[in-house]
Amino acid sequence: MNDVAVLGGGMTLFRRRLKETGKELSFQAAKMALEEAGIDNSDIDMVVMGSAPCAFDGIHMKGENLLDGAGAKDKPYVRVFNGGGTGVFAPIAGWWHVASGVADMVMVVCEEKMGGCYPHPQTAFQTIWDPILDRPLTPNLVWLFAMEMNRYMTKHNIKKEDIARVAVKNKKNAVGHPCAQLPDEKITVDDVLNSEMMAWPVNRLDISPPSDGASALIFCNEKKARQFTDDPVLVDGVGWNIASSMWTNRDLYFPQYVANAARMAYKMAGIRNPRKEIDFAEPYDPFTYKELHHMEGLLLCDKGEAPILTREGVTERDGDMPICPSGGLLGVGNPIAATMGQKICELYWQLAGKAGKRQIPGDPQVGVGQAWGDIMQMGTVMVLRR
Amino acid sequence: MTFLEKQTNPLDPVHYRGNLQVDNLYTSGAAGDRFFKHLMENDTFLASECKECGTVFFPPRLYCEDCFVEIPEENWFEVPAAGTVRLFTRAKLNTYGEKLEEPKIIALIDIEDTDGAHLGVIKSDEPDKDFMGKKVEAVLRPKKDREGTIKDILYFQVL
Amino acid sequence: MTEEKIQGHPKYAPGTHVSSKDIREKKVTYTWWEVEAQYAYSVGPANSRFLKELKKGNIVARKCKPCGRVIVPPRMFCEHCYGPTDEWVYLQDTGQVETFSRSYLDPDANRIEDPILVGVVSIDGASPKHGFMHYFGEMDPEDLHIGMKVKAVWKPEEERTGSIRDIKYFKPLEGGDE
Ligand SMILES: [Zn+2]
Ligand SMILES: [Zn+2]
Repeated sequence: MNDVAVLGGGMTLFRRRLKETGKELSFQAAKMALEEAGIDNSDIDMVVMGSAPCAFDGIHMKGENLLDGAGAKDKPYVRVFNGGGTGVFAPIAGWWHVASGVADMVMVVCEEKMGGCYPHPQTAFQTIWDPILDRPLTPNLVWLFAMEMNRYMTKHNIKKEDIARVAVKNKKNAVGHPCAQLPDEKITVDDVLNSEMMAWPVNRLDISPPSDGASALIFCNEKKARQFTDDPVLVDGVGWNIASSMWTNRDLYFPQYVANAARMAYKMAGIRNPRKEIDFAEPYDPFTYKELHHMEGLLLCDKGEAPILTREGVTERDGDMPICPSGGLLGVGNPIAATMGQKICELYWQLAGKAGKRQIPGDPQVGVGQAWGDIMQMGTVMVLRR
Repeated sequence: MTFLEKQTNPLDPVHYRGNLQVDNLYTSGAAGDRFFKHLMENDTFLASECKECGTVFFPPRLYCEDCFVEIPEENWFEVPAAGTVRLFTRAKLNTYGEKLEEPKIIALIDIEDTDGAHLGVIKSDEPDKDFMGKKVEAVLRPKKDREGTIKDILYFQVL
Repeated sequence: MTEEKIQGHPKYAPGTHVSSKDIREKKVTYTWWEVEAQYAYSVGPANSRFLKELKKGNIVARKCKPCGRVIVPPRMFCEHCYGPTDEWVYLQDTGQVETFSRSYLDPDANRIEDPILVGVVSIDGASPKHGFMHYFGEMDPEDLHIGMKVKAVWKPEEERTGSIRDIKYFKPLEGGDE
């Protein structure tokens, strides 16, 4: 298996609605990644597209629609898709193109346009449920996460305030991010707790916004990467895992599938003690509690311990285990697959020391990014190392 | 492997009705917005040219998919709302398989002075004739009725 | 440190924000499209029986002998053992609340005054944690809690159609709690 280096990343503005088409956003993000890598699109052997449900963009088989914007014309090209897990699964697919040796240089482009979906992106989410047993109850995805959050809180006796701190931290972290949709320097825990009740225990500020946006990343065979940099950032491990779709037959308090994916990635990376060996993490944070749930799933702390670490400031950008230094989905926005920008591009920028105002102090060497999706089923994990 | 319970009564299996109802608002995009806004005020089309390879895109694009470069606004220009029929077909049925009173002539039209083409409808007093290679021009909505969508082009007619 | 590192990546953020006001005032052009695709979903042997039994006021499960699980909603195959399940088992119409929410959002994310009480009920007679999503009713919303014992409230027989909604909701089981 070949070692795989990251050469560059890019991401567009994230907003509730952008004027640009999905193709145009893909082009803009891809162009930035090529600029950072210092290469031309003709240097790219193959392209991987990541994009979540077609119903958001309203274009069926949208991978085929987006391909020219992703620089994939007349090239080997594939769209991968596993719901919210796509933002990390697409780079995993990019990685295996290079690791397997079928390509030396691969571009991964992730795109989502949710602003055009009416009456609300939630309407499209209705169609992901079982049509026979779930949909007649007209479920809303927020209900689902409210139920999971409740189970998690009840199991570990977690206070809502400790969960609300995640929104405060991430929206503050996002202040230095040029793409951010909801940065907020002044937000307090009370603001989160007093925001509109959507579905108890989920308040409005516990939720990341739907967004339009795109991101891109370039992977290169490590030997070839030496032409571009003496100090490459390498993909050290990848993992993915899915639980049964019968979510009413399992306990929701712990994301076992994330732990399975993390173990797979850590084994590949030779990481025995993730708490000591990993310097920072970008777990998937579409909801406040999910960051905590996923820290536990990533084995960065004990079950039920993540809220305590958050309260103690361990997960702040200057803490012992910075979590979501990008500002995450809560601060930067949630164009589903395009959150590769916060989850994997950010790992690269942090490890390369290129994160500017968002830079974690202390010269981090190892970071883990993770995404999560489908009906509380999918865990996708990638470890990068400098 | 087989299921241990068989369904033998053909009237027995249950179906459950459902739908996928999602409405979409598609912004025209950076290039599309410029194209449609021009068409709302003018009776011509816009095209964009990649200076690296010389391709003239119609519909105009923000970028060249071959050279992978952005096409700046100064490389956009007007072209006639007219072209030449490259391909056509006569549809006799509608989307639901019902017979149309008048056949509908659908054509791929190479737009003049560009490398691009447009899928449009041709209206003609002689719908049964051969339209291959014929010069056609766009018939647009009256300016006051234009709304900035592809429907501002009503149809094409043979010159 | 290089200038690049001080400034940080991403160096810029391409894209043009469009507000709802821009759309209403037609500051940008757009195209509107309504998809309406109709389906008749095949319910399959397991759920067919499940729905037909609901119509009669029964909740049925499938038993997998190799792992011993009593599975509801029923499936013709066991995803653990990856073999066919073996027999039908009648369950009670009682159970306990595994988790729940009080939702102030309708399915299209519109705001509503009276919360929808929704959650997962594990059904008595099935394996632990095995159940399905449903509504709750006939209780003060604040009383709803994890571990609460509940009982199905059925629609009148003549109104049942063979649907998960032949159960109206689950209500507190009298004398069931603590
Ligand atoms: Zn060109
Ligand atoms: Zn079994």
